[in-house]
Amino acid sequence: MIEVTNLTKRYGKHLAVDSVNFSVSKGEVVGFLGPNGAGKSTTMNILTGYLSATEGDVFVDGVNILEEPEAVKSRIGYLPETPPIYPEMTVREYLRFVCRIKHVPKTEMKDRIESGLHTVGIVEVYNRLIGNLSKGYRQRVGLAQALMGNPEILILDEPTSGLDPKQIIEIRELIRKLGADRTVVLSSHILPEVSEICRRVMIINNGRIVADGDPTTIGGDLFDASQIVVTALGDEQTVRSILSAIPGVTNIQPQPTAEQATEVLVESEKNADLRKAIFEAFSSRKVPLIGLRVKNATLEEIFLELTSGVREAE
Amino acid sequence: MFAIITRELRTYFQTPIGYVFMGLFLVISGFFFTIGNLFSGSSNYSSFLQSILFIYLLAVPLLTMRLLSEERRQRTDQLLLTSPITVAQIVLGKFFAAFGVFLVTLVVTIAYAVVVGIFGDLAVWQTVGGYIGFTFLGAAFISVGILVSTVSENQVASAFFTFFALLLIWFLNLIKTIVPTDPVASTVFAAVLVLGLAAFFFLNTRSWIVSGVVGVIGAIAIVVLHLVQPSVFDGLIPNVLDWFSLLERFQGFGLGLLKVEDIAFYVSFTAAFLFVTIRLIEKRRWS
Repeated sequence: MIEVTNLTKRYGKHLAVDSVNFSVSKGEVVGFLGPNGAGKSTTMNILTGYLSATEGDVFVDGVNILEEPEAVKSRIGYLPETPPIYPEMTVREYLRFVCRIKHVPKTEMKDRIESGLHTVGIVEVYNRLIGNLSKGYRQRVGLAQALMGNPEILILDEPTSGLDPKQIIEIRELIRKLGADRTVVLSSHILPEVSEICRRVMIINNGRIVADGDPTTIGGDLFDASQIVVTALGDEQTVRSILSAIPGVTNIQPQPTAEQATEVLVESEKNADLRKAIFEAFSSRKVPLIGLRVKNATLEEIFLELTSGVREAE
Repeated sequence: MFAIITRELRTYFQTPIGYVFMGLFLVISGFFFTIGNLFSGSSNYSSFLQSILFIYLLAVPLLTMRLLSEERRQRTDQLLLTSPITVAQIVLGKFFAAFGVFLVTLVVTIAYAVVVGIFGDLAVWQTVGGYIGFTFLGAAFISVGILVSTVSENQVASAFFTFFALLLIWFLNLIKTIVPTDPVASTVFAAVLVLGLAAFFFLNTRSWIVSGVVGVIGAIAIVVLHLVQPSVFDGLIPNVLDWFSLLERFQGFGLGLLKVEDIAFYVSFTAAFLFVTIRLIEKRRWS
């Protein structure tokens, strides 16, 4: 549905987006993840036609956004980083205005606004001035704005920034609901958020996509060892001697723990599952094993690994 | 476009700006009318129109200062530019909204003319001409203000720059009388214009070739004109200034003379400024 080829954006000498290629299929919910200033917002601004790329193209269903901007724009709903709201208007006036510039037929306008208000949960502030609303409500008014044109594609730039935890949960829930029948591209620098909402994550750093894939498997290729956290009731010396006797263990690292026990991180060859061997080794030495779990690379670790690695390479 | 017009009109009267503009315009024009016509018992309405020309300088910047600068500051330009409407529709919508408020205000002052008509001799056609002239002049001033508000994100800066730009246009008449008229000065002036044009192209395209070509063509044009029609260089500077002087053209209207040439001038002046505004906004996306 969205096809991005060789997208590059230069601000003077600064390279904000560096020949990025990706495509998003219909119905996908994709998250852009990256530190501040990585190029997420710039990419989104180009996708929506607010900015033009220095090089490269954006196609929506094969139509270039530069060649038929109106046709493409009418299919995209965009919530920029700062919700584009007019403080001197009421929510009602604002949404009516948005409907008009998005060419919503007059007969449908009322229903469209009504359903938008319910979807984002702002019915109770319908007649209030936007300038007097709290940040959470403004963000939701912005989201309602993006929905007015009934777009097939939603592009949301940090939709949960500045909200309190309860609102964040609500907005996430909402995005998940919206993603059921729409293509959604959202950005965030909050990692759990992306892994929670999106089935696909693109990690962006310094204007480049450094990883792209399912949030649960994206770390797989990155770490060449499998890691197991072992907690046992015994001193470190004993634990070490038991573990080092197990074939396949390549590294043992003591971990800090709050329990009256020893916790170590055992590394082994990739794809070697040593859990059974570890259990048997401990039980034969009669050292109680109270914890044994495979350590998955969290998105945080993947993220740090990827973003710091790229920085070093430059 | 109509959505933009309605929104802008509403904003004028939901924020103080619309009231301040109308109030300022009507208070000062009322002041001139009371002193110039009522108290002095004069029915010379066209001199009243002449004197309120100057209120424009103060009032038009108020009308245009927030039109595009505020959109940028509030980031609502992201909504407008990502919606399925063109930049031209946005700019024209804003122009017509400002023009509408201006026209309504101007229409209110017709009451003064009616008072003069009832109690004195109103030069009807001169007054009609004056109002027509005002309408076009207003459009031209508003287009200048819109261009300025595109450049600045700050409303106050935008108002000040518009004020100075209009003041400069106002002073062109005076400047005209002191500039040199001899052919040498004119040639230098033409050369500076060509250089400026070349620099403009260079800043926009970053291409030495394009700007070089522009510069060379300009230089050739100057030389050819010198050989073919040297009379062009007699008083070139005042002629160019004259062309830009919006007020000079207004005099004809005040006398009740409707010249197609003058109307065409105002319309093309306005169109040119709006066009540059549209281009500026479109160009910003690329930089």
